[in-house]
Amino acid sequence: MDFIFIMEQMPRLLPGLMLTIQLSLIGFLIATILGVPFGIIRTYQISPYLSFFIDFYVFVVRGTPILVQIYAAYFLLPLAGIKLSPFWIGIVALSFNSAGYQIEITRAAIQSIEKGQYEGAFSLGLGKIRTLISIVFPQAFLRMLPPMANEMSNLIKASSVLSVITVFELHKAANAIISDSFKFLEMLFAQAVLYVAFVVLMTQFSIYLEKRIGTKLQIKNFSQR
Amino acid sequence: MSFDLAFMLQIFPDMVRAFWLSVQISVITVVISVCVGIMLTAARLLGGNITRYSIIGFVEFTRGAPPLVHISIIYFLLPEFGIVFNEFWTGVVALSLIGAGYSVEIFRGAIDAVSFSQLDGAKALGLSRLQSFRLVLLPQAYRLSLPPLTNELANVIKATSLLSVISVNELTKVANDLIFVHFVVVEVIIQLTVLYLVIVGLLMLLSKHLEARLKF
Repeated sequence: MDFIFIMEQMPRLLPGLMLTIQLSLIGFLIATILGVPFGIIRTYQISPYLSFFIDFYVFVVRGTPILVQIYAAYFLLPLAGIKLSPFWIGIVALSFNSAGYQIEITRAAIQSIEKGQYEGAFSLGLGKIRTLISIVFPQAFLRMLPPMANEMSNLIKASSVLSVITVFELHKAANAIISDSFKFLEMLFAQAVLYVAFVVLMTQFSIYLEKRIGTKLQIKNFSQR
Repeated sequence: MSFDLAFMLQIFPDMVRAFWLSVQISVITVVISVCVGIMLTAARLLGGNITRYSIIGFVEFTRGAPPLVHISIIYFLLPEFGIVFNEFWTGVVALSLIGAGYSVEIFRGAIDAVSFSQLDGAKALGLSRLQSFRLVLLPQAYRLSLPPLTNELANVIKATSLLSVISVNELTKVANDLIFVHFVVVEVIIQLTVLYLVIVGLLMLLSKHLEARLKF
């Protein structure tokens, strides 16, 4: 293995990594903004039509490959008159995909909160929305963190598929280097290491967040007692 | 957007042929990855430190790197060492590795969830380590691991679409080619989506059926 070659090619790989990071973070953020409220709407069955629509959406997202969703965004958006750069098409596809999973994660987390929490909140005279915001959601948020970290790492890995619509992210950058130097081993190794590093970083961040929020919630409970 | 049903019928035979290939890859991959996953889990739980850490490394690698990288590794790297598969088997091997890595984690999680007293009980009955693994832990863990395993297998099936980059003529590749030959987008993508939903939907039904049968 030619480590000097890997170091030499870093200036070409790192912009790709930068783009991968941007794609996955922006995609994840948009998906959270869409997914969490819809997940809450779905959990409490606020409107039956909306619930049906959300269920169907989740079924389609979970039942089709990300590649198909990317192609759909790439070919269908221009037909609908929306012209975006490949980068933003990628963001649309990734957030479309991730929102479906985040709806499920939110729903599962909120449903796992015990009934006693609601009863306690209502008996203290809190309204429904107040109960959701200050009692149920903080606890559900803590339970959402591990599957959300999972989803984040899936999203990072899904961003590699955007190479097929010419987004120049890490995988595409590494492939470009492979096709003009024929050094498969080095480039595959380098991109695998970069991907794993980013995934591990995000997972560790979620673990840190979980610990911090967990202790905070407990301290609050303790002092209120 | 106009809609052309005649065209959908016209491309249907091609799509079904590709669909069949996708189904074949999926079924072979699912079987291999579950079998390899069980064996690796057993080795991880029963083996020595070296086996254990190499399996943990393997699992981290399959979970940490994107499937496209695994596929590239099998496709570009193994021929360097004289191991040559055709595209179909490259795809099957790559996806099976990914599936095996994920199922090790799922099985391990399920086995951890089976309580320790079960093992003590098995020991008290005089079962050996392998026997208690096979007869006590595995049947219980099997039931617990079914829902996450279904999820993961659905992911593996969806990952077959990535094999289009190494020119396996599966569903997504054929659909993409059809788009570029006929310049018709909406009809092809709708058909593609429905066919994938059929495969994944069948898997979900199968898992629901198994789960209902396994309930004690």
